[in-house]
Amino acid sequence: MPKLTIDNLNIEVRAGTTILEAAGLLGIEIPAMCFLSGCKPSTSCMLCVVKIIGKTGLVPACGMKVEDGMLVQTDTQEVAEARRAALELLLSDHIGDCLGPCQVTCPAGMNIPLMIRQIARGGLSGAIETIKKDIALPAVLGRICPAPCEKACRRRAYDQPVAVCLLKRYAADIDLASEQPYLPVCKPSSGMNVAIAGAGPAGLAAAYYLQRKGHQVTCFDENDRAGGMLRYGVDKKLLPETVLDKETSMIFGLGAIFKGDTKIGTDISVQELAVDFDAVFIATGPIQNDDPAWSSLEKGQEGIAINSGNYETSLKGVFAGGDCVGRRKLAVRAAAHGKEAAVSIDQYLSGKPVTGSEKTFNSRIGKLRDDEINNFLRNASDSPREVPARKYDGFEPEQAQREAQRCLDCDCRKPVDCKLRRYATEYGARQNRYKNERRLFTQKAQHPDVIYEPGKCIKCGLCIQIAAEAKERLGLTFIGRGFDVQVAVPFGRSISEGLKKAAAKCVQSCPTGALAFKNT
Amino acid sequence: MNEPDLKFVDETVQRTGTGPERVLAILQALQSRYGYLPTEALERVCELTEISPASITGVSSFYDQFRLQPAGLYTIRVCIGTACHVKGATQIYDAFRRYLKIAENDDTDRDRIFTVEKVPCLGCCMLAPAIQINDIIFGHLTSQKVPSVLKDFLEEQKVREKEKSKKEIPPVAGQRGEIRVCLDSSCLAGGSGEVFRELKKAVHESAVAAVVKSVGCPGMSYLAPIVEVVRPDTTFRYSCIKPEDARAIVLRHFKPTGTSRKIRTAVSLALDKILTDKTWEPVTRYSMNVRDELVTHFLTRQKHIATEHCGAIDPADIDEYVENDGFSALRKCINESGPEEIIEEIRQSGLRGRGGAGYPAHLKWSAVMDSPSDKKYLICNGDEGDPGAFMDRMLMESYPYRIIEGMTIAAYAVGADEGYFYIRAEYPVAIERMSEAIQKCRRGNLLGDNILGSDFSLNLTIVPGAGAFVCGEETALIASIQGQRGMPSLRPPYPAQSGLWEKPTLINNVETYALLPWIIRNGGKIFSELGTEHSKGTKVFALAGKIARGGLIEVPMGISIKEIVEEIGGGIGSGLAFKAVQIGGPSGGCVPAKLADTPVDYESLNEAGAIMGSGGLVVLDESDCMVDIARYFLEFTQNQSCGKCTFCRIGTRRMLDILERLCTGRGRKGDIEELEHLAVMVKKGSLCGLGKTAPNPVLSTLKYFRDEYEAHINKCCPAGKCRALITYSVTDDCIGCTLCAQNCPADAIAMKPYEKHEIDTDKCIRCGTCKTVCPQDAIEVR
Repeated sequence: MPKLTIDNLNIEVRAGTTILEAAGLLGIEIPAMCFLSGCKPSTSCMLCVVKIIGKTGLVPACGMKVEDGMLVQTDTQEVAEARRAALELLLSDHIGDCLGPCQVTCPAGMNIPLMIRQIARGGLSGAIETIKKDIALPAVLGRICPAPCEKACRRRAYDQPVAVCLLKRYAADIDLASEQPYLPVCKPSSGMNVAIAGAGPAGLAAAYYLQRKGHQVTCFDENDRAGGMLRYGVDKKLLPETVLDKETSMIFGLGAIFKGDTKIGTDISVQELAVDFDAVFIATGPIQNDDPAWSSLEKGQEGIAINSGNYETSLKGVFAGGDCVGRRKLAVRAAAHGKEAAVSIDQYLSGKPVTGSEKTFNSRIGKLRDDEINNFLRNASDSPREVPARKYDGFEPEQAQREAQRCLDCDCRKPVDCKLRRYATEYGARQNRYKNERRLFTQKAQHPDVIYEPGKCIKCGLCIQIAAEAKERLGLTFIGRGFDVQVAVPFGRSISEGLKKAAAKCVQSCPTGALAFKNT
Repeated sequence: MNEPDLKFVDETVQRTGTGPERVLAILQALQSRYGYLPTEALERVCELTEISPASITGVSSFYDQFRLQPAGLYTIRVCIGTACHVKGATQIYDAFRRYLKIAENDDTDRDRIFTVEKVPCLGCCMLAPAIQINDIIFGHLTSQKVPSVLKDFLEEQKVREKEKSKKEIPPVAGQRGEIRVCLDSSCLAGGSGEVFRELKKAVHESAVAAVVKSVGCPGMSYLAPIVEVVRPDTTFRYSCIKPEDARAIVLRHFKPTGTSRKIRTAVSLALDKILTDKTWEPVTRYSMNVRDELVTHFLTRQKHIATEHCGAIDPADIDEYVENDGFSALRKCINESGPEEIIEEIRQSGLRGRGGAGYPAHLKWSAVMDSPSDKKYLICNGDEGDPGAFMDRMLMESYPYRIIEGMTIAAYAVGADEGYFYIRAEYPVAIERMSEAIQKCRRGNLLGDNILGSDFSLNLTIVPGAGAFVCGEETALIASIQGQRGMPSLRPPYPAQSGLWEKPTLINNVETYALLPWIIRNGGKIFSELGTEHSKGTKVFALAGKIARGGLIEVPMGISIKEIVEEIGGGIGSGLAFKAVQIGGPSGGCVPAKLADTPVDYESLNEAGAIMGSGGLVVLDESDCMVDIARYFLEFTQNQSCGKCTFCRIGTRRMLDILERLCTGRGRKGDIEELEHLAVMVKKGSLCGLGKTAPNPVLSTLKYFRDEYEAHINKCCPAGKCRALITYSVTDDCIGCTLCAQNCPADAIAMKPYEKHEIDTDKCIRCGTCKTVCPQDAIEVR
């Protein structure tokens, strides 16, 4: 049995084992996209390259069999650089949006396309869960948000954007009006206490997400009721107090404590909070830089200075967000701060490195060209944008249904499973490194369950192998050569003709979102 | 479009067989029958055979030979080999497209008469720039010759149609004709008087029905003496004739009684040689088997082993080969030596594979010999595809028996009994000659069962390639023989362990096999006395580019680049300064003039950033832009990438993007660094040799000519080559002859007789026509 060394670890494996498998036995994960256990290694993506001492260049670990005495390195800078280059090259020819442009534009990063699909299918409980993953006060924001997401909506290029904000309000209103409004499952108590100064959009959002993480939150506010600017700075016709009350009470229903009539600096100081609580989040709204209440904190140009990556202030354990660190103007931005600060605070309280929310890689098409919009229009209803009957009203159920059908579903259906996205995040790959004129986006949607977007294909050929093994009569094949090679069904037939048996397995094996199920 | 006649499909399948590996052969038959591959025909093939729709679609779209759309009646194949490139092939290609008014996204003119394609290399670099229409090659083209080439070709077709004559010039007994010679004073000065007398003498002696006439001067005295042979059907023109050629010309065109065909053929071959070096206005055409001959100057610096008896024996004549020691090496092996002894002889010779990488031959052989298997294969790699390299073509066409003998010896040594000869599709003459030679060997018991009465058998099959450079890579070549897309696979396993049909397979290049008989006959030791410490023997090179005397040379390893360029090649033809030599084609690099003392051996060339490669050697002068050269090669490899691995598929494309930016004045800061970074990544990370070596032309030019790259970032092409970075203008030397205006294909010059002309830069397409036609050298390029 050959003995070899991988990253200074010795191992003995049976002959015929690949380097990838041997590394796996040692607990060393080598990234791979085109490799699938049970299929012949196609050695195409080259993400699994490793260095073998004594060999020039790098070799793909998925296909390279071990040899006795081999010295393998998987974690050198050279290897990492090559892997990043492979990813960046693939990304330079990757035509697709990981997320819908609406989600990318939403300051809270809400998964809008998923919410819309859930509403379209009548799954309102799913929709509210999706919303509350990122937005603590959707019924409130559904009334006052200027909806930057709608400005980014791809449908704008055709007629009117999808009424995202009203759809969110619709789902939230139905939920609030129901007998048992949605309550998230909170983690068991961590025993940690967090003080939040200010119960406006930022503070309330932070409170909501910290409670969900199992931390006990106490909200201090100078007013006697929670809401901050939402209560005192917004037209009541636009946002009736009943809605605000109902939605904020949901947050305190999770166990957060509200302490009104308490002004920071006057009634209690930041230092005191820092001593009494395990962590502090300051979200009081705009401050004066010379206000002695904040003298213990370093200032920036427009308020408290923070590390923009993780919301830390100059005091250990004290975080700040919302308008007190600079004018946000939008409630939704302040709410996003609160949500993101909660992630940092949770990391801090758990003793983890405080890195803030993970920045996941996002592939972007950018502006659509020529007739690309037509690919998406095929999936959507052609009806015009719905308008509520009266000013300040929301959608009726049928309206919401019709409006939701207007969504172009232009996001990727595999944003979580996609290996390209995962490794691009891991290796810090940049999509525009080798930027050049891109190809046109196309979508093949004839198959009842499966959608094929060739621009996302990395030409690994797994689906071709799987279709051949399943003895598909037509199956799939590579067409052309080199840079222009494409995976397609022979003789120009459709995917539904090519994949009569193996479609599901092909989708599951596809390392990217090139082949995906239509309904996710 | 008419429904294709599918009966032909049925017949073809019946003839070729129904195995999945027959797909290439079937597609080739369909392609030549229909001119393209109709979908109905492909579907029919799938019904009749074990070939799957996925396989037939994948294979038919992989190889350049196949078209999925109907082509025009005739195909113009513009050679874009290196030699043609440096002499303006792109301009020629553009000129054909422009003249035929071919739409941007099409390759065929509206009347579907002509299809214009680029081909990597036609293998006649000394005719550069050259094109091929059907089976005729036109050489030394310029943009303004395009209309006359097409006219000439169509006229020729009309004649053929009428006569239904064959390719070869048919001499008809008793046919009358004229032989015209100009006896103008300037032609007389060129020696036409003596040619005239010799022609008269030859006509008289051979008693052919021809009249020798003196004619007026066609005005091309620099080509004198010029001879025109006028027959009722057509006219042939020869330039730079010597008196001793007179008899040959007469015999070629007029059949005397009693002369054997063999003599006539030999004569024809000799005549092609004089036609290759000089041009004729308006056009010069050549038959298909025209090719560059061995350079015979300075023979002392050359050593003929692979090309032994060059010019002295008839390629097709097996008896002549046998008379000249042919097959004596094979006899010696079969009668006197065991496999181990043969391999030991090869080890002693120090022979390394001539395909490019230079792997020691005996190691490969031993590996195949030692691989336990009941079946072993032998393959000869004749898929030479480097632009600017055609050594293997010449060897296959000129020494078919020597290659077969070498293959047989190798098969005997490693224990293979079945062999495949993979020959590039673009070499029909080589395929024909090798097939013929294999037939003759079979009849002579030199191939087939129980060779020379022994119990050793070897059956050889020719597999024509289908136009994919990557198939020169051994694993891709094997995939291609197996009827698959030519995609390389990871090594190990090497073919020696698991090759064709997963059996141990010996795969060597044409030249490697061609060297074997000599080595066995003379002994490995004698061979190893030639060359350097690690590079033994000789190497055949295709010497081309800006050189006075180009062609094929066989030189001992270790000779310096300078010796090749100056002594054998006669220096730069243009009179400009020698700048660099590109060695090894798209996998190689540029060695600058200052390193001209570099000896030609595997290690020294590697060190200089080039590689031996298969032996293309293109000489560049100061008018050649090194960024353009790098772009040219990247365009080639990028186009030939199989598309399997990320680094080659996308990496070469991104490198080309940057190079294209540089050459079109869109370069930006950081481009050079990014190009270098990508080059290193592609070299390290690519799966096969094509990708691993594709960055070499870039890396070597970056190493020696970085300043030219930097100049391009500043939107300047120092050599004045990159079209977007140069402008044409007329100098005060203009005499107002209007030639430039008359010939400008873009109407960028207004006709102003006796006045200084002007070029409208906005309209100018930088085709260079004005510069070529100007008699005063009054066109300036900046």
